[in-house]
Amino acid sequence: MTVPATAIAAGHVTLTAKGLQHRYAGHRGLDPVEFDLDGPGVVAVVGANGSGKSTLLRIVAGLLRPSHGATTLTLDGREVPPPDRRHHIGYAAPELQFYVEFSVAENLRFAAEARGLAGPDAAVALALARVGLDSRAGDRVDALSSGMKQRLRIASALLHRPPVLLLDEAGSHLDEEGRLSLESIVAEEARTHLVVLATNEPREWSLAARRVELSGRGLGHPA
Amino acid sequence: MPHEGSSFPAAVWAILRKECRSEWRTRYGLNAALLFAVTSLTGVSFAIGRLSDRSDVLAALLWVVLLFASLASLSHAFVREVEGHTLTFLRLVASPTQIAIGKLVFNLLFLGVIELVTVPLFLVLMGAPPVHWGEFLALMTLGSVALATSSTLVGAVISQTRGRGALFAGVSFPLLLPVLAAAVSGTKSQWAGNPVSAEIRLLAAYAVALFAASLLLYDHLWED
Repeated sequence: MTVPATAIAAGHVTLTAKGLQHRYAGHRGLDPVEFDLDGPGVVAVVGANGSGKSTLLRIVAGLLRPSHGATTLTLDGREVPPPDRRHHIGYAAPELQFYVEFSVAENLRFAAEARGLAGPDAAVALALARVGLDSRAGDRVDALSSGMKQRLRIASALLHRPPVLLLDEAGSHLDEEGRLSLESIVAEEARTHLVVLATNEPREWSLAARRVELSGRGLGHPA
Repeated sequence: MPHEGSSFPAAVWAILRKECRSEWRTRYGLNAALLFAVTSLTGVSFAIGRLSDRSDVLAALLWVVLLFASLASLSHAFVREVEGHTLTFLRLVASPTQIAIGKLVFNLLFLGVIELVTVPLFLVLMGAPPVHWGEFLALMTLGSVALATSSTLVGAVISQTRGRGALFAGVSFPLLLPVLAAAVSGTKSQWAGNPVSAEIRLLAAYAVALFAASLLLYDHLWED
């Protein structure tokens, strides 16, 4: 699936973290980390289980306020504060769940309408086609397999054509065809956008030109 | 830029439609609320007959039935998102204030539907038509707005806490008490033929104050 050129035009993206760390109720969620990234391109966030990869992506997405430090996202030199990042970030993570009483297309259509996208039906159709889920558009979410749900998460992240894509364990539950499709999407997005992959999969590392390595041992270890 | 100017009303409208469609498909709260309202009114009616000469009991019974019928669903507007793990999805497509306003409007609609069935049934079974329809409707409307606003606010605040059931009762009690007291007092005065302007003003002021406080709080929800 080739994305129309108008849909992928984006400006310069920078993402920086300074003195960033996070604690949950006395436990370390993310040990101090600093980075300075710019897009377009692909960056892999790597680290052991519990080192804070998901926590880092939640902070960047504006879903979590860090205990210390800050991240800064700029688009064409304009800083985007955390509460507004959802407009410019596509986020797919295992925690992302959809309304089981709605169909695949209804979930994405709701997201498109809430985001105020022009032409929500076209946006939904394009996102589903990109992840190979167009034939399941009318199925209820609870009828999908784990792999199909993972594709839906990725479609949801692509829906509003964001300049920054945050993909947490994006390849999980995907079959070979799904992984190839994911790699193709990442390569396509990386031409114009910043793609951040949080992963422990060497195959996904290989898609990235840069890595951010998290050294912490994470949850379960006292702060 | 990919962001195509998501407007506040568009997001609120999308959330309201989502809530209505979800309720229509799951009947999560409506059936239980209507069942409670109809059975409790019918039971009271069979047990004690008409109460047209007891304006104090009438007013208290009406608001207690409405409160208990609606509260379980109103308080769960956000809990359903947390327990269904859909809150992250919701937060990615709308701001906390947009989410809360969408849910508040849905709660108002939900309460309206409950009242559309319950209030006429109550008036018929108790044999007590309002003395002044305008004042009665004003009290019902303002009481409902205050009830929905306070339940939505407390529901949002406690949604991600442990022991939220107990917390909802504890936090909502002081917020709901003025609403109930003013609504019951005003409804009783209306049936007794006394002026109700003080209660109407109190309910209106309380609803506005709660709504203003909600707007200040909502954008700080769920940051941790």
